[in-house]
Amino acid sequence: MRQLGGVARPATYYLPWITRPGLDCTLVLSNVEARFKPEWSRGPFPVAVVQYDADGRAAQRYQVTLQDSTDTVEVPLAHAPGGCGFATVSGERLHSDLYVTLSNGHDYTATHGRHEFVEAYPLAARALLAVGGAAASIIGRTLPVFRRNQYVYLGRESRSHVLLMNLSNVTNRIRVAAHAADRRLRSTVLRLPPMGSRLLDVASFGQEPAAGMVAWRLELEGNAWFNLYLVGAGSRDLAGPLSLMHVK
Amino acid sequence: MSATFYEAGYEHHVEIIHQRDGESRRRLHSLEVTLYDEGGALLGAPRVDPVQDVLDLGALVRDTTGATERIMVVLDARYAESIFPYRPHHYAYLHRAGSPAAPLYYAINAVLGGVPDRVGATNINNFETYVFRRGPFAQRYSLLLGCLSRFVPVQAQVFTYYGSRRVIREITLEPKCHTEVSLAAEHEGEPLARVEVKALFRLLSYVVGRRADTDDLVLFDHLFTYAK
Repeated sequence: MRQLGGVARPATYYLPWITRPGLDCTLVLSNVEARFKPEWSRGPFPVAVVQYDADGRAAQRYQVTLQDSTDTVEVPLAHAPGGCGFATVSGERLHSDLYVTLSNGHDYTATHGRHEFVEAYPLAARALLAVGGAAASIIGRTLPVFRRNQYVYLGRESRSHVLLMNLSNVTNRIRVAAHAADRRLRSTVLRLPPMGSRLLDVASFGQEPAAGMVAWRLELEGNAWFNLYLVGAGSRDLAGPLSLMHVK
Repeated sequence: MSATFYEAGYEHHVEIIHQRDGESRRRLHSLEVTLYDEGGALLGAPRVDPVQDVLDLGALVRDTTGATERIMVVLDARYAESIFPYRPHHYAYLHRAGSPAAPLYYAINAVLGGVPDRVGATNINNFETYVFRRGPFAQRYSLLLGCLSRFVPVQAQVFTYYGSRRVIREITLEPKCHTEVSLAAEHEGEPLARVEVKALFRLLSYVVGRRADTDDLVLFDHLFTYAK
């Protein structure tokens, strides 16, 4: 159906990023997988990184070279508007084992990226989605083309925020509805620009418990392809150490 | 099956179903949990309600064993076969009580004992790798390895790479045994770059990083698996 509509899905490797004062965000790039494919294991491997800011603009571009299949290159990402987003990584036969790390200079946390795709909609489809999405948002809805479910956690000592990434060239209205075990919490519709991102505060869905931790289920619907990472925060919330964490 | 490790002092919540889909897929048919100490002794097989969303692993282990050492936790979960023919892939949330460190969220290892012909795994994948930042960082690295075989010990080789140097260690794990293999952050002046695990049988394996001063976990992740 999407092919009939002219939607292209170029394969794309992407990783989330987040910057805060005192916290550096660095990609760790390698092509270890090439070791297992002798016909492709010789370097050098040129690699291009595009860092998209929260508004979806290509804020920075980086070019690096991996000398061979065991080489590793660290790419510190610059701060960019919005303080979060995602970066795409492209290189011949580069599919896995790329990491994004967050460090306060003392230690670091890490997670890996995803080799999936981004969606490129033709002009007519973009116009239709813009009209349909705007109409649906009036009643607090979106066009539910893609759907995800994700648990999030909230306590006094730690929590998991959500970094939402619009992996398409259309405005993506993503409806997020939160549910506790016994009741529905609140819902919101976020408008993410093409290739844009948004950090969603888990505490916006309800009160943290006086003790212990609550787990809530988020139901997410978007009018175009999107994905998410969890952002783990400790007692100092976003001002303290953070972790980025992949989901299914 | 899936398996992980529990360490005392951590909030550790396991998503029984990692994503809650439509009504028919939202409940497990069964969930069996077994707990093993480092020497492979069965510490308990507590009854667990398969209908819950998120399992408080810390409470379960404390109530069952009272153990203060690391425990290997094996999860054997099934959906009703008519609804969902494969087993769920669990995720978990991990945070040390009282620590200012960020929590971690990770995919629980799937290990042998499942139904490979139905999950599409036709090869035994037994070669895993993980890449580290150069640092220096004030953290200690290790591998947590567990053996889920039923009858035979498993031999594994752990390769650590430092520049052009390679250090090899042989590990043998008896059935249901587990161990922490420390990885030196530096060797002959070169920082740890990469670790690889080779085994003839798929081991339970996690890469771990701990803050040098507080011991808080800052890395708890799976390695990347490649068919050899």
